[in-house]
Amino acid sequence: MLSAQRFLDEVIAALRNVIAPAISDPYPKAQAYMAAVILEFVSRQVEERSDIATAKEQALSALFADLSRLLDRKEVLQPNGDEREARLCQVIERLYAERNRLGEEVFTAANRRVRQALRQLLDEDLKVAGKREE
Amino acid sequence: MPAEQSVQDKVRAYLQGKLPAARNLTLSDFVQTAGGWSHEIYVFYANWQEDSRNVTRGLCLRKDPGVGLLREISSLKEQYRVLQALEPTPAPTAKVYWYEEDPALLGGPFFVMEKVEGEVPNPWSRAGKQAYAEAARRGTLSRSFVEALASLHNLDWRAAGLDFLGAPGPGKDFALREVAKWESLIQQSLRKPEPVLMEVLMWLKANAPEAKRLAFVHGAYRTGNLIIKNDAIAAIIDWELQVIGDPLYDVAYVLSDLNREGSPLLSCVVEREFFLDYYQQLTGLTVDLDVCRYYEILYMMRSTAFWLSASGLFAEGKNKDLRLARTAYSVPVVLDMAAKALGF
Repeated sequence: MLSAQRFLDEVIAALRNVIAPAISDPYPKAQAYMAAVILEFVSRQVEERSDIATAKEQALSALFADLSRLLDRKEVLQPNGDEREARLCQVIERLYAERNRLGEEVFTAANRRVRQALRQLLDEDLKVAGKREE
Repeated sequence: MPAEQSVQDKVRAYLQGKLPAARNLTLSDFVQTAGGWSHEIYVFYANWQEDSRNVTRGLCLRKDPGVGLLREISSLKEQYRVLQALEPTPAPTAKVYWYEEDPALLGGPFFVMEKVEGEVPNPWSRAGKQAYAEAARRGTLSRSFVEALASLHNLDWRAAGLDFLGAPGPGKDFALREVAKWESLIQQSLRKPEPVLMEVLMWLKANAPEAKRLAFVHGAYRTGNLIIKNDAIAAIIDWELQVIGDPLYDVAYVLSDLNREGSPLLSCVVEREFFLDYYQQLTGLTVDLDVCRYYEILYMMRSTAFWLSASGLFAEGKNKDLRLARTAYSVPVVLDMAAKALGF
């Protein structure tokens, strides 16, 4: 997802340069320009949420700790780069690639634990992207 | 400095070249439609005199804007060839007239086809859902929806000259090809790692079903991609994702929750049981719901690829359409659907 700041900048630009000039009625035209002005102020009040990144980090730390206990074949977990979500992508790919060598029982247990963490990551993303509760 | 020619002027000049016998050629009701994410679409009437007669023809021009969606996996020329091949078949489609690649004409490749009269209610809008629900109660449109799909799947695609699309090999090749096609779009669009998507992709590769039969598959058969007139499908549109493949791929798209948000009807227009019964009756196929479930998950991956590509175009500054920006928020929602379908 793009940053909230970048989105607001683009929406403001669209309102000012595309939407408002295309409106011929004076009242909605003025409203569109005013929306751009207000959003400029709002953009200075907005800060990115840090709680989501923190919760994701915690979920990933717990996952990697559990996987290192679950898996004898540690090479599946070998880090490749610092970025945790990129590392998890590699782990998922290796789990499937090594499925036969790991055996179905180990694969299933590891995959279940991975999916549990994926659900946590998704739930964090859905705090922003999900439908607002009525 | 001379004023830049408008699109309408350029189109008129182009048509005059294609219709040398036309005198006093004018274009009327020239409108660029708001629908469609991947192409610029203009609809209009061409009016002229020929052999002492007044002629009016409704036309639609579809142009590649260069930075639209799905440029990596869909081609305008292929769409034109497909529509040309479908013209003599029972499948309801628009007649195509001319295809042009020369960017000097309009700034990018385009083709001109017949403007099919009818409506395309927006299935995502409240009014559109209501229009489809009312049509479903009358019954005729639901039948036509199934019949048009069956007309594609019953087509002898080799005889129709559609084999240029390339047929997959036996077994799992079709499903794996589709996964690979969309994975390549993901790789081109991905701006940050998406572990949930990786799990979905790995599952899809590990569980690909065998295609029992190959057919000509539209790839996005749903309301919104169908022109409707008098409660019947007047034309199937949006020919960007067609393939030779498993017909259950289209069936799964109809069954998918992706295309009926808030409606109990498949694609907002047809009862599930009626759809399955009538489709099987018309095609002689047996719908394997496990295979359809696989394809439904593939569609969720495909939607994710689509949204990643759309939001990527916006993020890279290649396209300023705010609708593309909005799709970034659709990625977790579709991944959530896929995760739930996979049991997590």
